[in-house]
Amino acid sequence: MSAPLRGAAVATVRRVVLWVPDWPVVAAMTQAGLGAHTPAAVLHGKAILAVSAAARAAGVRRGMRKRLAQQACPELEILPHDEGRDTREFEAVAAAAERVVAGVEVSRPGLLMIPSEGAARFHGSEEGLAEALVTRVAEDAGCESAVGIADGLLAAVMAARANVLIERGQSHDFLAPLPVGTLVHATMERGQRTEVEGLVSVLARLGLTTLGDFTALPTADVVARFGHVGAWARRMARGEDVAPPVLRRAEGDIGVEYVFEDPAQRVEQLALVAAHVAERLDAALLAAASRCSRVRIGARTVTGDELVRVWRTDVGARSGAFSKHMADRVRWQLEGWLSGTAAGPQPAPLTALMLTAEDVVPLGSEQAFLWGGTSGADARAHRALERVQGLLGPQGVLAVTEQGGRTPRDRVHSLAWGQEGVPPRQVSHPWPGRIPDPAPATVLAVPLEVHVLDAGGSPVRVDRRLAVSAPPTWVRLQADPRDKVARAAHRHPSSGHVGGDDGPVWKPPLPVEAWAGPWPIVERWWSGQASRRAFLQLAMRGEDGQTEVALLVALHEGRWMLEAVYD
Amino acid sequence: MFEWRAVLSAAPQAIAQEVTVETQGTRLAAARAALRAVESRLGADGKAEGLALALDEGLAPVLPRGLLRGQVIAVEGSTSLLLALVARASKEGAWVAMVGMPHVGMLAAVRRGIDLERLALIPYPGVQAPATLGACLDGMDIVMVGQAMVLSDTDRRRLAARARERGCVIVVTGSWTGAHTQLAVEKSRWRGLGAGEGRLRERDVTVAICGRSVGSARRVVVILDADDARVRSGGIVRRESVGDRALGTGGA
Repeated sequence: MSAPLRGAAVATVRRVVLWVPDWPVVAAMTQAGLGAHTPAAVLHGKAILAVSAAARAAGVRRGMRKRLAQQACPELEILPHDEGRDTREFEAVAAAAERVVAGVEVSRPGLLMIPSEGAARFHGSEEGLAEALVTRVAEDAGCESAVGIADGLLAAVMAARANVLIERGQSHDFLAPLPVGTLVHATMERGQRTEVEGLVSVLARLGLTTLGDFTALPTADVVARFGHVGAWARRMARGEDVAPPVLRRAEGDIGVEYVFEDPAQRVEQLALVAAHVAERLDAALLAAASRCSRVRIGARTVTGDELVRVWRTDVGARSGAFSKHMADRVRWQLEGWLSGTAAGPQPAPLTALMLTAEDVVPLGSEQAFLWGGTSGADARAHRALERVQGLLGPQGVLAVTEQGGRTPRDRVHSLAWGQEGVPPRQVSHPWPGRIPDPAPATVLAVPLEVHVLDAGGSPVRVDRRLAVSAPPTWVRLQADPRDKVARAAHRHPSSGHVGGDDGPVWKPPLPVEAWAGPWPIVERWWSGQASRRAFLQLAMRGEDGQTEVALLVALHEGRWMLEAVYD
Repeated sequence: MFEWRAVLSAAPQAIAQEVTVETQGTRLAAARAALRAVESRLGADGKAEGLALALDEGLAPVLPRGLLRGQVIAVEGSTSLLLALVARASKEGAWVAMVGMPHVGMLAAVRRGIDLERLALIPYPGVQAPATLGACLDGMDIVMVGQAMVLSDTDRRRLAARARERGCVIVVTGSWTGAHTQLAVEKSRWRGLGAGEGRLRERDVTVAICGRSVGSARRVVVILDADDARVRSGGIVRRESVGDRALGTGGA
């Protein structure tokens, strides 16, 4: 069955690879403002990750320990590793290459892939294209690069490393004498790289040292022994991979900007602008035949601060009323910023307002839920909540998400309904020492003071070593100050509070039945929100003698505070 | 007529099979199962009507007819019970608004299974409370109402009528004149806490149930916050919040 196919060449994509040698170190040196003659290296963990040409000449190698590298070259500049910086800096190279060809794929920072056919025709020949690319990158981005052209990914990458052009159909012969270790250069992600490194080490132990040896094995045996990694490696080594480069399209954001003639400070001034800007965004989206599911509202203040918030808009339910809906959001956000109620920098007059559409999708192809569209009930609920937001203001309706933390209050993050945001603390982090489950059903918005007393009636203290001065025996809670009966009882001399009608009204003491703790929580000592607390769980017999009330109290700066009630 | 005959002939047969088994407990369970089968066949349990929202099995003794749409349920003395009542419905797709409950522990709500995606918190409605509640009743499936609300009795009547019309359930903390069902926690007992050691683990709650549609007041013991091994290991998002160990019912 497969006999006729054996000799047939696989139609593969001819591609150009532009490679900047030692990219992490080049990017780091550009950012640090070092010249190309300085010996420099990027350190990641304990080992050197990338080495500049000058350092390599002095004998520094990839994978060396820091001390060894400094021994080889005492004037070596050690720079930190930063993947974000590598990606960011490489954007300049990609932009330079895009001036020569229409679309490029950034395979990883340091490596660009470009389909060759059309571009080579445009520039006359493949040599012409390579020359144009190298010149443009050197001029615009200011770094040296190498270009290789071949069939298949691995051949093109290796051609770029050798700075040669491989003729059509010659990729297999070019790759055959190379060691199997070169397969690693065709990997683009860390996980894949580890898998391939494992494969390479097995191949070397089996005595297969060159890619030619490896590709001489029958396909079925390779797949049977090495699975999908083996199949991938075989395809790569033969130059038969057919996946075309995934080109990115340079597309501008859909957004509008409004610059105030005079810095705006009053809310009335902004209401009109909000409506105007929302209408312009709507028109811009319509012109691009798109819809968006989120809108980023940004503003600049006279002090130079940038304020940014993202709001959700649901696409399906509101195609007609979009501008009205958005105008409300913009107005609320601006009011928040101007009045200083929203958390952020000091309120200041605004100089410019920007609206940018995010998650843009073509009109008519909005994706709703996996099973069917947005249900009628969901749309109804959203509309009802928006009406309440209209009544009470944006902060009147909150959406809640769970976040990481140790106390019940810290573990909840709330945002205005419809506003997008990421909880500042991750749930997946370990959070050692958090208060154990079950979670209390009532968590006081503001902690209230309570009296935790020992048998003699003096306050219970917790010392530095978390020893309790005496077992807690009595607890006095605060009464509602409007409760006349409690007030009268409080005034009575037997309550122990003689004179003075001010201050909190205390209920009669309740006996503690059982307790646990103290559990220390010492948090954020390095910041302004430092806190040092010791928590107790207390179970008391209630006033009616039937119910048992369980409380979570915390000792904070010498005072017991009621944090939560397990009711 | 035909159905009745079928039921009458089926039920004694089922019981007769079980008589052979000796122990008291299994006989009681079998009798209850037979009764439940009859109820569900006749549609007397309310589930067949499609008017009830889902309710946790452990709370079935508290509200045997389920969380009926258009009703007002008042709960006194326990926020946990309040959350447990709506948890299953929220998990199965109902929208929930919590109005005037600034102190509710959202973590407890999550642990009981309330879906935060479909939950809106309106902590301080202030003087707009009637309008806010009205808007919520229009859009949400369950509206939970807190204690400190500026509501007159007229407002309450009007809201209850609106809930009936819209098919929305109002679950209230404290009391509500004209509530269909009034639940009050009479006794509660915590386990797991010692003298300086342990932690709160499990609790029995005796709930007294009375109301318009419930004949005389009756008492039910439910276990809230049932402790299980998965919670101890941490990391599980939802647990079976109300244990299915309803200890039994007794007349008042």
